[in-house]
Amino acid sequence: MSLKGKLARFKNDIVTETRSQVTGQRHTASLDMAAKWAALQAEPFLFDGQTAWVRTVSYPLNTCHGRYPFSMLKEAVSAWNETEIDHPLSAKGLSFDELLFFDTETTGLGGGVGNTIFLIGCGRLLGDRVVVKQFFLPTPSDEVALYQAFLTDVKDLKNLVTYNGKAFDWPQIKTRHTFLREAVPNLPAFGHFDLLHASRRLWKDTLESNRLSVVERDILEFTRTGDTPGHLVPFYYFEYVKQQDPEIIRGVLEHNEYDILSLITLYSHLSQLILSRIPATAKEQYEIGRWYAYTGSEDKALESFLSISDAAGHEGRLANRNIAAIYKRQKRYDEAMMIWERLAETSATGDSELLIEMAKVFEHQYKDFRQALDCSKQAYRIEKQKSRVARRSQDGLGLENRINRLERKLFCS
Amino acid sequence: MIPVKKSLNECMDIIRSRPEFIKNIAHWETIPERKAKTVSFPDSIHPSLQQSLHKRGIEQLYSHQKEAFTAAVDDEQNVVVVTPTASGKTLCYNLPVLQEVTRNPNSRALYLFPTKALAQDQKSELTEWIEEAELDVNTYTYDGDTPSSIRQKIRKAGHVVMTNPDMLHSGVLPHHTKWVSLFENLKYVVIDEVHTYRGVFGSHVANVIRRLKRICRFYGSDPVFICTSATIANPKEIAEQLTGKPMRLIDNNGAPAGAKHFVFYNPPVVNKPLNVRRSATLEARNIAKLFLENEVQTIVFGRSRVRVEILLSYLQKIFQKKFGAPKIRGYRGGYLPKQRREIENGLRNGEVLGVVSTNALELGVDIGQLQVCVMTGYPGSVASTWQQAGRAGRRQGEAVIFLVASSSALDQYMIQNPDYFFTRTPERARINPNNLIILVDHLKCAAYELPFAKGEAFDGVEIEEVLDFLTDEQILHFQNEKWYWMNDSFPAYNISLRSASQENVVIIDQTEVANVRVIGEMDRFSAMTLLHDDAIYLHEGVQYHVDNLDWEEKKAYVRQVNVDHYTDAHMAVHLKVLETDEETVSAKAEFAYGEVTVNAMPTIYKKIKFETHENIGWGHIHLPEEELHTNAAWLSLPDAISSQLSEDHIEHGLIGIANVLRTTAPLFVMCDSSDLHVTPQVKAVHSGQPTIFLYDRYPGGIGLSENVYQSMGKLLQEAKALIQRCSCEAGCPSCVGSPEGAEESGKQAALKILNMIL
Repeated sequence: MSLKGKLARFKNDIVTETRSQVTGQRHTASLDMAAKWAALQAEPFLFDGQTAWVRTVSYPLNTCHGRYPFSMLKEAVSAWNETEIDHPLSAKGLSFDELLFFDTETTGLGGGVGNTIFLIGCGRLLGDRVVVKQFFLPTPSDEVALYQAFLTDVKDLKNLVTYNGKAFDWPQIKTRHTFLREAVPNLPAFGHFDLLHASRRLWKDTLESNRLSVVERDILEFTRTGDTPGHLVPFYYFEYVKQQDPEIIRGVLEHNEYDILSLITLYSHLSQLILSRIPATAKEQYEIGRWYAYTGSEDKALESFLSISDAAGHEGRLANRNIAAIYKRQKRYDEAMMIWERLAETSATGDSELLIEMAKVFEHQYKDFRQALDCSKQAYRIEKQKSRVARRSQDGLGLENRINRLERKLFCS
Repeated sequence: MIPVKKSLNECMDIIRSRPEFIKNIAHWETIPERKAKTVSFPDSIHPSLQQSLHKRGIEQLYSHQKEAFTAAVDDEQNVVVVTPTASGKTLCYNLPVLQEVTRNPNSRALYLFPTKALAQDQKSELTEWIEEAELDVNTYTYDGDTPSSIRQKIRKAGHVVMTNPDMLHSGVLPHHTKWVSLFENLKYVVIDEVHTYRGVFGSHVANVIRRLKRICRFYGSDPVFICTSATIANPKEIAEQLTGKPMRLIDNNGAPAGAKHFVFYNPPVVNKPLNVRRSATLEARNIAKLFLENEVQTIVFGRSRVRVEILLSYLQKIFQKKFGAPKIRGYRGGYLPKQRREIENGLRNGEVLGVVSTNALELGVDIGQLQVCVMTGYPGSVASTWQQAGRAGRRQGEAVIFLVASSSALDQYMIQNPDYFFTRTPERARINPNNLIILVDHLKCAAYELPFAKGEAFDGVEIEEVLDFLTDEQILHFQNEKWYWMNDSFPAYNISLRSASQENVVIIDQTEVANVRVIGEMDRFSAMTLLHDDAIYLHEGVQYHVDNLDWEEKKAYVRQVNVDHYTDAHMAVHLKVLETDEETVSAKAEFAYGEVTVNAMPTIYKKIKFETHENIGWGHIHLPEEELHTNAAWLSLPDAISSQLSEDHIEHGLIGIANVLRTTAPLFVMCDSSDLHVTPQVKAVHSGQPTIFLYDRYPGGIGLSENVYQSMGKLLQEAKALIQRCSCEAGCPSCVGSPEGAEESGKQAALKILNMIL
């Protein structure tokens, strides 16, 4: 049997990939594609017989994208410059036009070498406008032109602002660049503000997911109309590659553009929240405090927690615990004890961890073993009650040891 | 009373002194001790390496080690080293590699082991050496267990990276840009145990190597391949097919070995007319018991997972009081890796006294030195038998190996013809890297890794037509004389090297409602007959009842039970010829080879009682049909012959011949009997003639049936001889199968047909 016949016979065994889910409307071939690109505000970039399309769009700074105009970014950057706070999102020492908002579109998911970047989008504030530049790969054999265009235009990549760029976009750029490294300039040094990490910190528990589209809708109050769903992006591109009609890819270009514009608003919003320029919810304030604590800015953390110490409910209690923990570290035992005491009193089911904290201070700082013993015994009773309910027997908190030791100290000395 | 521990020799004396035991011994072969052949170090070995060898107490090399070193280092030849277990084969590749890295710290080496366990073993061995010698060489294993925190370091700075073909396929090659320093400087590729890369798995791996070489070429390296193999008929050929490189064969084994007693044990006949012998499983249990109760470390091999589990539960029951269960362990695929590591360690340090295993322990997993090996049934090939036997007495000291025959035709043939076994060259390993489905799978992966240029071949294979096909199917895109990957998927994830079907069935133990857990997994095809609803599934000697097999979700829910039976399932097979590629027609018989479609469906299962093995019930299996396109060889009876025979006669004769072929054909083509299926049809759909089909289990075939076609005449002669030699009256499980009340016995019918066509 001919190879063709065999291939046809085994088709079900061989072709397991998802087929194109979109069909481009085939426009008459006589239409001038270059004119269509021009209508999309794109120009060709020619290099060594290859072509990349560079699309440039710009907006005045007073254009609103979601809850703010783009000009808010200027304010955010100057706000960072006015503070001494050390924070992962800090733009201190930078001017607003040095931030490069960056997002790519690829032919697939995952990080293998065959996942090609076909669109690199960059946005930045230049003078009185936001300028978005998109570098587009019209066929897979134009990659050298794509990277030439991108790397000659964007020389400084030290301040990328991305959404999951640390784990995805940037490694993928490096992967594709490795293929072409003989033919294109080297990748410059780069630095990252990855806003995915920021939204995870602030909204992980409150949003249905941390996808940019969800953050955009629920936090930035921006609604896209007629957007191309992310999972269809590769298929529109495959269709474009076959037909070469820019109409097919228009939706994808807009999708990428929206992503970049949203990154600007998101960065502005996050900066305002972190720097307390706008009111944050108790939950946000609490997470901002934790973030400060994580990066070692104890004073700022304390400030955040204190600002919600009177808040009702869960966040208020959590904030107070964190405040007490900071006080303890700062050896401000009296203040810490006051908070623990208050928390312990208002706890509905009793809180053995607080009592143990108190016992530790009584024992080691105040040398008041009786009080320490009282607290430990209270904690022990609470634990015992809990372990009956949960049918656990282990004394994971070492309470028995503590009580024994305290009794020895009290009665044997 | 304190039991007195006996030595191996004392145990042997007991055996010799028991007449009821002695009379079942069909053959006792003593393989004498072999002396070492050593030579002094070649001068070219780097002084610091010479020193480190001295430190390890190595003053000389075995002859094969020196030859491997000279060939791989001085002559930069690709080599395949063939030596038995425990002959110092690892030095054959470690020495050249360390030499290279010592001379040039930029150089890199890639080691491929068939399993993760072997890679981990070898890593500890090599690391120990490197540390002792204070060499500046980084060695890492890279597999699914490698923590992501050290992966980057391994990619950049690992001199020796040890992995398995599956990881190379899906975790390294599709990410080659992260491995630039490895691929630019790759000097040696070591492929250990090449004999395991046969059949479907080997055909896949050969294509993974083609991809590896393609990526190396892209980065400008051209590594030397060092392969090792157990004794098979064609190590050079298989290594050459696998790597696509000319190989130098090194088989002058210079390592010493202790004396071995190879005992062929044939259980007594318990049913004379049916020629049924006492169960090999029960006999193997008794032999193992004798050694185990004297605390002699023993390995028992079973032919299937079910056999292994049955034997394990027998032995655990016997020794539960004496040692507690953990002293006797099971070992097979489907156990979780952690469990297996634990068992391997237990064997090495003596905590585990006995192990019952499938052929999973044939491989060079280091389990130390066992004294006794008991094989329950002939392992199916000469090569496999020697591999399993090698588990006993790996280095020095006497060892004893029992081959306990079952009633099957093949076992009886082997046990009654010991000369045949001891003089026979081991089988050939076969692969077919150009199986269309396998080839296309890897062309997809290769295109994903690097676009194909027009005119580019895939290690010599013309592929333009396939690339055009994939372009038509919108998986590739052709532009400027190159084929580019143009799909959103990651092809390597959808392609498994180990099994025809990617989706394994996960086995979930729901005995405790609060503690539902995964205890193992199984390939889809095996699951049809082992994990169907109401099957009794055995795992680590524990019986489970399959409450529900969720075929859609590929999950089997099982519950621990304690019953006195096991289950055995049957499959119904329909077969259509699509195209005849070759045929040999004579007046007596027609032999042909071509393409077929097979439809298989499990039908019923039987409940079989332990110990007596009687049938105590049955049930239906409701699972969807599986369809398979593959290659087949077949034998048809022309009308001139069949018109002389009654329909009954034809039916019983064909079933009888098929039964014999089922065991003898895998011998001829060296494959597992599950890789080659045999189906008789009284009226074949394509011709209306009585026909016996032998077909490849893997879609598209891997060359087994083609081989059957080429040796059909010889194969049938052998089948005839086997039936004639069998001492039964009217047919028995050792030849054509048990008679089923037909007018004429299957044995006579089969012989009559064979006489007419040969």
